[in-house]
Amino acid sequence: MARRRRPWEPWLYVLPGLLVFAIFIAYPILANIVGSLVGTHGELSLANYRQAASDAVFWTAVRNSGIWVVACVLAEGAIGFTLALAIELYVPIGKVAFRTLLFLPMVVTPSVIALVFSTIYAPGYGLLFGLFDYFGLAGSFPAILGDPSTATLGVIAVNVWQWCGFFVLMYCVGLAQIDRELLAAAAIDGAAGLARVRYVIWPLLWPTTTSLVVLGTIEALQQFPLIFLMTEGGPADSTQTLATYIFQTAFVLNETHYASAVAVVLFVLALVLIVLQYRLGRAEQAAHA
Amino acid sequence: MRKPLTRSGLFAGALLLAATAVSLVPSIYMFDISLRNATDSFSPALIASHVTFANWQAILLHGDLARFFLNSALVSVATVALTLVCVIGLSYAISRLRIKGGHILLLLVVSALLLPLASLLVPIAKLLEMLGMTNSYFGLIGPETAIGIPFGTVIVKAAMDEIPVALEEAARIDGAGSFAVLLRVVVPLVQPSLIVVAIWQFLYSWNEFFLALVIMTRDAMKPLPLAPLYYQGPFMTDPGKLFAILTLIAVVPMLAYIVLQRWFVAGLMEGGVKG
Repeated sequence: MARRRRPWEPWLYVLPGLLVFAIFIAYPILANIVGSLVGTHGELSLANYRQAASDAVFWTAVRNSGIWVVACVLAEGAIGFTLALAIELYVPIGKVAFRTLLFLPMVVTPSVIALVFSTIYAPGYGLLFGLFDYFGLAGSFPAILGDPSTATLGVIAVNVWQWCGFFVLMYCVGLAQIDRELLAAAAIDGAAGLARVRYVIWPLLWPTTTSLVVLGTIEALQQFPLIFLMTEGGPADSTQTLATYIFQTAFVLNETHYASAVAVVLFVLALVLIVLQYRLGRAEQAAHA
Repeated sequence: MRKPLTRSGLFAGALLLAATAVSLVPSIYMFDISLRNATDSFSPALIASHVTFANWQAILLHGDLARFFLNSALVSVATVALTLVCVIGLSYAISRLRIKGGHILLLLVVSALLLPLASLLVPIAKLLEMLGMTNSYFGLIGPETAIGIPFGTVIVKAAMDEIPVALEEAARIDGAGSFAVLLRVVVPLVQPSLIVVAIWQFLYSWNEFFLALVIMTRDAMKPLPLAPLYYQGPFMTDPGKLFAILTLIAVVPMLAYIVLQRWFVAGLMEGGVKG
């Protein structure tokens, strides 16, 4: 078939996407790197990174971001996987209803969720206090968000509450794509119950798990509104993450070059974590194959 | 065919009912506070004893919430439209037109999937300030579109890869140019994946907070996610009204999702999502 190809034609199609991408993704990355290398007198220097290395709040933020990633991915993955199994393989009725209702927290604006959960956690009048009170434990009610040792986990719990439904849905989609006959065959071969889950279903869902781990990692690293609205990074900077610390250094303290350095660290951290996860995911998949 | 009720079925049912309760209780609680009078609002009960509609009356007559809704709707619809245009163009050029360097292009775009927005925020804010686009709708639409492009391109390009070449060739022989082929053959075939991208992007844009907090400093331009902040101060002592507003903000996307979930899930099932 003789078809005249105009070589520039495909470029017309990528133009809008490439333009938006270049302006709002590529440029900011470069600007961050360059900005982070500018010292107080406009000279090229590593001062911002040196400042970070000796900044206790920065290290708190790094540690908390790590806690966020591990806690969110593990909790959301475990709960999502379990509930998806219950929906797709065990419960006789109401699959769509469960899947849909569990997903609903995902569609609610985090700023609304933050205020609702701040009230739920509130000592003296919140819903959780009511529960403690009901069991006669009012006296030992913890000030979850007011105590540096529990505040981060308190906010993480809210994020897990919101995102579980997404993990459930993705695992349901994965499960629905597994060949039913394969599952039946596994049952005949004696792989029933937990053995079937461990040796048949879990390996088959590995691609879904890999994607969810990556998505969960990014989601945990960029969580901002819940922390900002529930604790403002406090008490005493104990709940600061890299995301909230970037906001604080850039827009509250007006140290934009320093904020750029923190942003570059966050960017590199995300990259390292995700490459690592992909490597591990690949190795694991190869081990199962 | 209906499965017989087994013990594991019952256990799964109980587990799911408990999980669903946990996921719904905060919303029920929120709605309930909106029905309380000022003295009741600080009581640690899930359901209050006195019900009043005064809060709802007050906020529905109080006009300025409409402005937040309007801003959000405008930004979200425009973001979805622009994202679809960008994503379809990129996917089509890479998947069907076999653009030179398509591999690198895809790698470049997809690697941005891994970017936390927070790491881009400072330069985006500075750039928009330089362009005089702080407090403009495009200040949100542009960056939100950019953030949506990687995920959208992964999904739509995968869907386009599945289209048999023969379909395209047939249309070409009929004399259709690449744009006509795109509109008449390709887009209808990848529609389920486009719906997934549209719904996902709408949810993202509708709920986006971080960017809006930085870019939209003028009250008249603020989208819905900033509304709770705006009302938090004035209604501090009167949570009933604040929670009526929160309920209103939450209920709209919830209803929308209940209506749209069928297409969203169907699109995901089409196999657009791969590891």
